[in-house]
Amino acid sequence: MEVLEIILVIFLVFSALMTVRFDEELISIIFLSIFSLILTALYLLHKAADVALAEAVIGAGLNTAIFMSAISQIRHGDSD
Amino acid sequence: MFNNFIFIILFMLGFYALVMKTNLIKNVIGLNIMEAAVFFWVISFSDIGGEVSIHKLGEEVTKFNDPVPQALTLTGIIIGASTAALLLTLIIELNKFSGTIDREKIEGLND
Amino acid sequence: MEIPTETQPEPEVEILNKLMKKTLVSVVLAGAAFALYQSFALMPGYQGLNLGLSNYIIESGLKDTGSLNLITAVLYDYRAFDSLGESTVIFGAVSGIVLILSRKMLPVSSKGLSFIVKRTLGIMTPFIALFGLYIMSHGHLTPGGGFQGGVILAAISIIFSIVYGSAFDYRRYSPQTKTALETGGALTFLGLGLAGILMEGAFLQNLGFLTAETGTLISAGSIPYINIGVGFKVGAGLAIIFYSMIQKTFEEDF
Repeated sequence: MEVLEIILVIFLVFSALMTVRFDEELISIIFLSIFSLILTALYLLHKAADVALAEAVIGAGLNTAIFMSAISQIRHGDSD
Repeated sequence: MFNNFIFIILFMLGFYALVMKTNLIKNVIGLNIMEAAVFFWVISFSDIGGEVSIHKLGEEVTKFNDPVPQALTLTGIIIGASTAALLLTLIIELNKFSGTIDREKIEGLND
Repeated sequence: MEIPTETQPEPEVEILNKLMKKTLVSVVLAGAAFALYQSFALMPGYQGLNLGLSNYIIESGLKDTGSLNLITAVLYDYRAFDSLGESTVIFGAVSGIVLILSRKMLPVSSKGLSFIVKRTLGIMTPFIALFGLYIMSHGHLTPGGGFQGGVILAAISIIFSIVYGSAFDYRRYSPQTKTALETGGALTFLGLGLAGILMEGAFLQNLGFLTAETGTLISAGSIPYINIGVGFKVGAGLAIIFYSMIQKTFEEDF
């Protein structure tokens, strides 16, 4: 599936570019979550099933939650 | 061949975010992107076109992918998430201490 | 009259400084990219399967350990010592975070989200827990294993904190319960390792006498029990991390 891999890799580079570009942190974290999602699909395309499962639960689930909770504590001083 | 270029582009993007941006959270995000680029390159380099590395009961053994780089990548993903959590905790404490998250505007570090 | 000791730099000098800095950064980045590209030209193709290690694992992984999943066999039987090291890294991170962030913590009663979300997740949560336990315990038959299942169980605690409010999470699974789960998981792992010394002669050796036939749930020696121990340890550790990061502190800091 050469065509599918090329399309996914182009989206990967595009989302990484959008992550480092903006100054506000909330937009960067959303693009980091999209980056992790496309990386999961790419791992599955290379027939690595365990790594895709781990990247899905950790990259797109836990990492985003921890980053969001850290951002909500830095400007205003309170959280949740 | 094609994946080498993608690895270099992603690694340089993460490195740029780590060095050139002064926002501390951007530095942590850049570190995450660098790690993800290395994991992607390891998995795509060891792909020889085989099947998923799980035996099926009662079928013949065909060509399997290599299980050793996948085990190393699994360990690396989890350690990357733990490191990012600890760094973010330190950033929260630094923000309580000095009121800013810009690494050039923190008072008291230039002495 | 006070004479200022520093004058403002001229606008042209400032623009020239910025341009020089950008050029320097671009040169450094381009040089690093070129160096990486040149190092790829010296590398041959993938030779991992010619050196004998991966060949040995693919051919005799099923005979040695009895688990159908080869990656689980690598992670929990051939290289189980590295999984012990990884659990220790997670334990160190959890200890550091709890040490830094726990001042006088009181459970905050936030209201949570709306009624529809609460009812929907009230129905979905048992199925998420069942799915997490399935992936954790069937690590040697399907893709998955201890780490993935443990993180799914930690997601349940995150859901409780966000949707129902952190006071509900404090009442339901207090930090003492989570600490007890984490310690229990670590002691299971170490206990199986020491039992390997007593019964078979090497640390973390696979105990072969607990095996039924291949392909069922109770097979592959001590791998399912190591999976369950590691899963609870990692899940409880990550839940403690998230719970510590969303607390409000009511005392003054400095």
